[in-house]
Amino acid sequence: MSNNHTQTEGNYIPETYIPHAESHGTGSLWRTFWILLGITIVDFIIYFAFGASMARNIVFIVFGIVKAILIVGIFMHLNYEAKFLRWMIVLPAVIFLSYLVCFLLIEGNYVSLEKYF
Amino acid sequence: MSNSSTVSSTSTWAGGRSPFNVSYGKLMMWIFLLSDAFTFSSLLVGYGAIRFSYAGSTTPWPDPATVFNHFPFAHGLHLPLLFVSLMTLILIISSVTMVLAVEAGQRNSKSEVSKYMFLTVLGGAAFLGCQAWEWSQFIHEGGRLDSNLFGFTDAAHEHAKHLKLFDPVHWTAADKIAGPVPFASLFFIVTGFHGFHVLSGVVINIIIWINVMRGTYERRGHYEMVEKVGLYWHFVDLVWVFVFTFYYLI
Repeated sequence: MSNNHTQTEGNYIPETYIPHAESHGTGSLWRTFWILLGITIVDFIIYFAFGASMARNIVFIVFGIVKAILIVGIFMHLNYEAKFLRWMIVLPAVIFLSYLVCFLLIEGNYVSLEKYF
Repeated sequence: MSNSSTVSSTSTWAGGRSPFNVSYGKLMMWIFLLSDAFTFSSLLVGYGAIRFSYAGSTTPWPDPATVFNHFPFAHGLHLPLLFVSLMTLILIISSVTMVLAVEAGQRNSKSEVSKYMFLTVLGGAAFLGCQAWEWSQFIHEGGRLDSNLFGFTDAAHEHAKHLKLFDPVHWTAADKIAGPVPFASLFFIVTGFHGFHVLSGVVINIIIWINVMRGTYERRGHYEMVEKVGLYWHFVDLVWVFVFTFYYLI
């Protein structure tokens, strides 16, 4: 074992500090895999069962967001990280992405109006 | 107990401890991935804006199902979504093997980390192979960065609407007109940008795998590096979820 693991709070050195990694077992990992696989299969079934429509698109996007939350939370371990790290990653992403998507939905329409009317 | 540790245990930002409780390298990886997420979301939002702008156009945006409908060894059959679903499956499986490598690293089990890193590299290579095949099909049928032969005539559009799985389909030159150029160029740019991330991920995974086998991390006492490349690899999987959704499903 190196010194990094035994580094205590009193002699914390930011450049070399590495917190002890704790295994959470493989149960949640496999469960996440089956959920991801299941959602992909449902995506696939919906794609062939229903014709293209806005409702279908919304279902696909919601499924995509659910998959993203599972990957970031469980696979990338963000659910188990410190509170401030979680917010530092999630908040800017959510704010910036909603900003981009909102303006796409508002201004995207304007682009085609400019072009054809 | 010293005074400083008493203070730091009550306040996260009082100093003497990592407020995020992660190593410097992992924190930087997270910030890099956040910036990379912005890059990819800009690309996808740009794709959406351009696709929107073709609504009601005389050269409508092609339906992905009529373009990406090939499967290896099933030439000439209408098989939309099957091949990309296979690619998604490969990437999800390689994500699981990656996270299993991370988990094995937390138990300091060198042989298991090495095994799962190898499987992850294998999955990434398989995905890249699939993407190369997909690209070669698309280029073969007339997709280019600066031109796109996937505009379909009205009759071909009508025909495509009624195609069922496994129907034989052969688009001839008479079925095609010049389509929206951004359809092809954005396909190359976005899947190419993602594919380049996969390629660099595979290269980084190979380097880490070699280090694992040489015992570098065993001597170091922890497998933190495996966790860091794991973050990158899962991010690549995350991006593919949205590329899959916006390019092929919608």
